[in-house]
Amino acid sequence: MIDISLNQTAHRYCNGWSRRDFLRVGALAPLGLSLGGLLSMEKMAGAAPTRGPRAKSVLLVFLGGGISHHDSFDMKTDAIEEIRGKYKSIASNVTGTRVCELLPKMAQTMDKVALIRSQMHGNDHHETATNWVLSGRFGTPFGDHPAMGAVVAHETGFTGKVPPYVAVPKNPSFTWELGRSAWLGGRFESFKAGDPNAKEFKVRDLSMAQPMKPEQQERRQSLLKAVDHLSRTIEGNDQIATYDEFQRKAAEMILSPDAKSAFDIEKENEKTRNLYGRNEFGQSCLLARRLVESGVRFVTVNSGGWDHHAKIFEGLDKKLPQFDQGFAALINDLSDRGLLKDTLVLCMGEFGRTPKVNKDAGRDHWGYAGSILFAGAGVRGGKIIGATDKTGSTVTDRPVSPADICHTVYEALGIDPRKQLLTPEGRPVEILAEGATVNELYT
Amino acid sequence: MIRFARLIHRFAVVPFLLAVGVAGVNLTHAALPSKITRLIVQPSAIELSGAEAQHGLLVTAVGADGQLSDVTRWSQFSSKSPKVIAVSTNGICRALADGRAEITVSFNGKSEKIFVAATNSALTGPPSFRQDVIPVLTRFGCSAGACHGKLAGQNGFKLSLRGYAPELDHEWLTTEVRTRRIDPASPANSLLVLKPIAQVPHQGGERFAEGSPAYRVLVDWIAARAPGPNTNETDTARLEILPGSRVLRVGDRQQLLARAHYADGRVRDVTWLTQFFSNDEATVAVTPEGVVRPLRAGETAVRAHFQGQVEVIIITIPYENKVAPGLFVAKNNLVDEPVFAKLKALNIPPSPPCDDVTFVRRSYLDATGTLPQPEQVQGFLADPRADKRARLVDQLLAGPEYVDYWTLVLADLLQNRKERDHDVRGAKGVRSFHTWLRAQVAANRPWNELAREVITASGDVVAQPQIGYYITLVGEKRAEESEITDAVALSFLGTRIGCAKCHNHPLEKFTQDDYYHFAAFFSRVTMKREEPAKGVTKLITESKEADEQKKQIVSAEKSLAEAEAAAAKVDSANKAETDKAVKKVAEQKKRLEDTKLQLVKVLAKMPSITQPRTKKAMIAQPLDRTAPEFKPGDDPRAPLAAWITSPKNEAFSGAMVNRLWKHFFSVGLVEQVDDLRASNPPSNPELWRALSQEFVAHGYDLKHVMRLIMNSRTYQLSSSTVPGNAAERRFHSHYYARRLPAEVLMDAMSQATGVPDKFDGYPLGARAIQLPEPGVASYFLTLFGRSDRVTACACERSGAVTLPQLLHLQSGDELTKKLRATDGRLLALLKEKDDARVTREIFLSTLGRPPTTAEQSAFNKALAGGGARDEVYADLFWALLNTKEFAFNH
Repeated sequence: MIDISLNQTAHRYCNGWSRRDFLRVGALAPLGLSLGGLLSMEKMAGAAPTRGPRAKSVLLVFLGGGISHHDSFDMKTDAIEEIRGKYKSIASNVTGTRVCELLPKMAQTMDKVALIRSQMHGNDHHETATNWVLSGRFGTPFGDHPAMGAVVAHETGFTGKVPPYVAVPKNPSFTWELGRSAWLGGRFESFKAGDPNAKEFKVRDLSMAQPMKPEQQERRQSLLKAVDHLSRTIEGNDQIATYDEFQRKAAEMILSPDAKSAFDIEKENEKTRNLYGRNEFGQSCLLARRLVESGVRFVTVNSGGWDHHAKIFEGLDKKLPQFDQGFAALINDLSDRGLLKDTLVLCMGEFGRTPKVNKDAGRDHWGYAGSILFAGAGVRGGKIIGATDKTGSTVTDRPVSPADICHTVYEALGIDPRKQLLTPEGRPVEILAEGATVNELYT
Repeated sequence: MIRFARLIHRFAVVPFLLAVGVAGVNLTHAALPSKITRLIVQPSAIELSGAEAQHGLLVTAVGADGQLSDVTRWSQFSSKSPKVIAVSTNGICRALADGRAEITVSFNGKSEKIFVAATNSALTGPPSFRQDVIPVLTRFGCSAGACHGKLAGQNGFKLSLRGYAPELDHEWLTTEVRTRRIDPASPANSLLVLKPIAQVPHQGGERFAEGSPAYRVLVDWIAARAPGPNTNETDTARLEILPGSRVLRVGDRQQLLARAHYADGRVRDVTWLTQFFSNDEATVAVTPEGVVRPLRAGETAVRAHFQGQVEVIIITIPYENKVAPGLFVAKNNLVDEPVFAKLKALNIPPSPPCDDVTFVRRSYLDATGTLPQPEQVQGFLADPRADKRARLVDQLLAGPEYVDYWTLVLADLLQNRKERDHDVRGAKGVRSFHTWLRAQVAANRPWNELAREVITASGDVVAQPQIGYYITLVGEKRAEESEITDAVALSFLGTRIGCAKCHNHPLEKFTQDDYYHFAAFFSRVTMKREEPAKGVTKLITESKEADEQKKQIVSAEKSLAEAEAAAAKVDSANKAETDKAVKKVAEQKKRLEDTKLQLVKVLAKMPSITQPRTKKAMIAQPLDRTAPEFKPGDDPRAPLAAWITSPKNEAFSGAMVNRLWKHFFSVGLVEQVDDLRASNPPSNPELWRALSQEFVAHGYDLKHVMRLIMNSRTYQLSSSTVPGNAAERRFHSHYYARRLPAEVLMDAMSQATGVPDKFDGYPLGARAIQLPEPGVASYFLTLFGRSDRVTACACERSGAVTLPQLLHLQSGDELTKKLRATDGRLLALLKEKDDARVTREIFLSTLGRPPTTAEQSAFNKALAGGGARDEVYADLFWALLNTKEFAFNH
């Protein structure tokens, strides 16, 4: 029932797919390796959180479209050319770990990151897989389950002057927005920062086009107070309560310098900005660091354009160096500033890409194997977890499911992944129904 | 065989023992009515068939106040003929010999008698694969979607999801012998038995205990050499849940009893094999054994699933309010009867009616998506006529804004959008579908006619712009691979059948066969796309095969003509040449005839689609499995449209009524609004039925239903809550205030400030509710959640309130510009020197009401505070546009 993408054209997958293709999902692995089983076994063993939070914040770097594991962190240099691709591998600063030659800065940073080579869920559909890896729960492509950031926002609340969940520049998206708050409601959607590499970058609506005098600001707020009284006569209406809450928050954010400062990338010096790379990805990583510094609990850096169905090497020739520079700068900068110890960084796409290079010199979707990076908050750098076979087709060791990743994130933040949240209808739903922390990250 | 017969009697006892066990701990007789008038025993008679067949009883005590209580666990049971029918202390009747026995049930001094008959009591046999084994594997979760029922199975063991394919299950269970899954030589050592009792490691844990009824079914089935599904066995025709719908109180417990009715008339107590679920676990809990426990006031359905059959009962738990009965009396029309009856049953006080000033704004926004102008508000307030509300409703439903707004609503439903990769229409085509739709709304086309025109659209896209529906949803795909099947079911029937594409629907009767039967209606839809120079895109209703044959015929005719022309030129004296030419003509004639014959054959085929699992051809057939009436050559969509829009099709009328209800009340009678199914009943079935009947009886006139809704007392209740009704969001005790839809809010801002918006590609002044498709760029509309129309799901439109929305309202550049615009309302108003009049106008144009005294004085104070007059007024305007009263309909 699964479409094997080896012989498909780019068009078939990224433009011509049916929105119902998602129904053709499910088969886990050709080898009969079955993930859910492992998960429930761990659940039975009682994987309850046994320690306090490891991290204050989580920083997710999402490589939307699916970065090719063959051409980045899981190279198969001994395989035939149509599998191994064009690139050579280079040694890293961790003995035995080799990465793509286009990742020289990451090669010198591998001692700070743990590498999971066994991302696996078996789904080859962008929207379905993205919502799955971001929420830890399988559902329709439209996002039935709240994404991690939304759950974190729900659990930690709006503590400072900056929203608890921020996406830079925005949420992952192919045709529609992914990684949304689902039934948790609009209150917990990510706050979108926009592209920090844009000229005169400003977060939309955070400051007024023409600054107001304090007395005018006061007058506006006091007039608003005098005329806005619908909530006095209506009780039990969640939209009204949310409106009231965000009305206050919005005013605070607009008036206070804290929020503006958190987003003010101009406050970084030229050297730092150049260190991350003067492109959308690099500056997004830099802004993410600023946001973590100002107390944002969950930051998504969304980097799209990894869906290389055709001419993958031309594409990666451009993308990998930007990724290398930005992500390595992020890890090292966080480390230098002492932030890495309580920031959990993870980097993943929604899936890996097909082992065989197709007739358009591209690689297609591959939900059976992919690579994930973790760093910070107690993660042991230099570690390699899981493995794929010699063609990078299937996971041969330690499959890691979307639920495992989310479980790891929640537990790192001190959120009980089995906690029951109430849907608007009052139905109790566990944050995650399955999954267990990838404990090897810490040992 | 004897052993099996001996064991089977233990089965049904278990749930009752469990129920009694738990009950004994928690419950006291205090929960029971103090005075009992009589007992009800259910079922009223039982016919047992087969060796040691069993059936449970439910005993209900009727209190003096009419309150019903489950007293089964405290009742005494005795059999007058214990050698024929034995009855246990918890009311399980068991057949011992053929015959009939009188069973006496007593509780608290009252007693009741029923008769139990037994036949075939000597007839023993192995468990049935279809009727015993599959239900066990389903009931205990083995074939659930998270376990072996998923597509890939689990650890090499695969079952069909909730047993939808018994023949495959039997094959997988018995022929996939890689393991000791089935061991007839030693049944109890089969993995099929050892795993679920967790005797060997099982990732799914222990599903049932060794020696339990489920265990015995599997062991006995294996011992009988695992017989396969018996094709003579009838399927369950109907599931019955006793005692049926009930009014309960928090603290009550009610055991349910599930009875399977088979086509051959047999009835079986399948409580222990039935899965029970609550539709709202926060209101009512139900145990796997079928014990219902109300948790808080409200109402919800409890679903029972057995072998593809779904049955629901409604559990009602009245609120503990003291409500004067007079509050439920006043009614305007047929909408109010069921609404107030429901409020009364639940003991929820309705809010008082809203005032005129609220009503005028509310109705303008709901019916026309447009704010009333100040003079319209004042005109309405000044109107002394008693029926002015009804007059306003008529006036609004006749206006041009109504047409704009409802075209938008229907365009969402029909997904008019520019499809990025297979839309050959371009912006022009999308607009022409919109224009067509607008003309239908303007003419108040009955919904059944409009639906039929869209469903059966064919011809070319210029003459028939509604073909756009198929261009978006089918495009260049084969119809059965496209979204059309799911979309038609969702849009016109409010029914989600997508699940059944891959497996039987988990919550409905729809099977995979049903899905492909339904999809086959579209199997003849083919989009013919020509080079622009050669002509426009057409929808033809021929299979690709027939289309191909027709091309062949044209080519054969051409070749024949050529051969004949060549023959005419041949010199008749030249015999060899002549023979050759004659032969060629004959060949071409033959080819043409063959091709024509082939076409006849192709055309004679019934429209069908191959079901991927069974590889069987599924001929077009509606979801209720009635036989469609069409001849092979017909476009099957015509009978499809006839079936969909038939007055007998409750889903068609009901789905639209539900959408209309949600539009005006923000909560559908069925929620989600497009998830109609037996297992998701409406919050008020009587109301739903009454409105559907009205809709059908009035020729599917949308305005008729809107008029009924808007003139009802229910619609005209205040949005203010009163003590005792703030917590409920389903029964319409008050009007639920909600944020305005994106387009309506955007237009309201423009109208209030007097500064129109400019959308790319549209003239200045085109309103957001007039935009034909969601591709028109607008930060505001995206921010406030317009529908992208990617699917027909109503969930695509979002009413959520988010932080960026509030930031935008407070500091967005557009609003600032609108307040300062030289040709805007504010600057024009400021030319007036009378402050009281200016203030009043600003209030009327934003909130649709004059200021209160307190608001007036707060403003006067601000004005006296020293700021420039125009600035203070700009701030007031800003404040008003930022109120909930402005952004919400209330």
